[in-house]
Amino acid sequence: MQYAGCIGGGSPMIVRFKVSATGMTPGVIACSAPDGATGEMIVTATTATANQVGTLLDAADSRTGETLTYSTTQGAAEAIYSVIINPDQLIRGLMVTGATGTAITGDTIVTAASNGLTTVGGTSVASPDMDQGMVWYTSGANVGRSRKIVSTSSVTATVVVPFAANAVGDTFQYAGICKGLQGITLTTDVQKFRADIAVATGVNVTTVNMEMNGTTDSYATVVLTDSVFQQTT
Amino acid sequence: MSQTILIKQQWTPKTFLRSQITGGKKKGRAAGGWIADLAASKRVITLCPPCTPKFNPARVGYRKEKEFPTCHAVCDGCSVMDQYCSMYIYEELYSTVRSTADERRALAKSREQRIKRGYL
Repeated sequence: MQYAGCIGGGSPMIVRFKVSATGMTPGVIACSAPDGATGEMIVTATTATANQVGTLLDAADSRTGETLTYSTTQGAAEAIYSVIINPDQLIRGLMVTGATGTAITGDTIVTAASNGLTTVGGTSVASPDMDQGMVWYTSGANVGRSRKIVSTSSVTATVVVPFAANAVGDTFQYAGICKGLQGITLTTDVQKFRADIAVATGVNVTTVNMEMNGTTDSYATVVLTDSVFQQTT
Repeated sequence: MSQTILIKQQWTPKTFLRSQITGGKKKGRAAGGWIADLAASKRVITLCPPCTPKFNPARVGYRKEKEFPTCHAVCDGCSVMDQYCSMYIYEELYSTVRSTADERRALAKSREQRIKRGYL
């Protein structure tokens, strides 16, 4: 994930933290380490996170013999990494499908809707439930247009603000992510946002913006909602 | 007019040893060597205005953060917390940890062109 600025527009504050777990790779959300941990920070889990510290910036490199995690060897170098800690920081990540983070599943209209109120595709939008998520077209008369999903049933997503009439063969995508809603599930490497999980489940981040493009270049921008620098939970 | 009083740090054996176990630059360590170590391990480097001219980012494959001209950090050169530090990120990691307006602008332009072609 990428640091994309702050809501308040200020400059980033960078602090170095002592590592207390593995998995410290650039771009992950770091969290405050729990009581009894060896260091000061750990990496967020994929589905839940508390006491977020910020975005990790550093990589490890064996050229200096330093490791990704803490060492209990006497005299060993200490593992410390830089983190942007602003509580209102904006974090941008790629929207993907699946735990390993493949491209978003593109779907195709199989039943046309002249009133533009439904998208009937070939894959289920009800399980996982995409209700309150977003649907957008990638071809056809509605290419580039998006709407919020208000209800789902099997392979049908319904919207209130109608699209133009769609046609069989039009392609579209959907995501269980929507601006203003909290909760996004991350991929196993905790670097990308899963669009195929039901809305408002996952780590404590709230979506600020969505860039709805193709299957491989759609992004969401979020803000931390469980920053340890605001309130320890 | 305000006056600045400089007080010499009185290092005791205890405080000296403590300085050796904390992360960051050790007492007596030359700033250049410490920054070279940071650069070798691809860490973010932050330098305050007086220390910035002494570092050549291009020589060690670093890129200066220009979208945010300053950051609030401890200077890796003089170990002073400064809100006007410059931030240097290892070039190969830059797009991993930073999203810039230029990158987003290019994506938006690409999106417009693709919509004109009828397929996003």
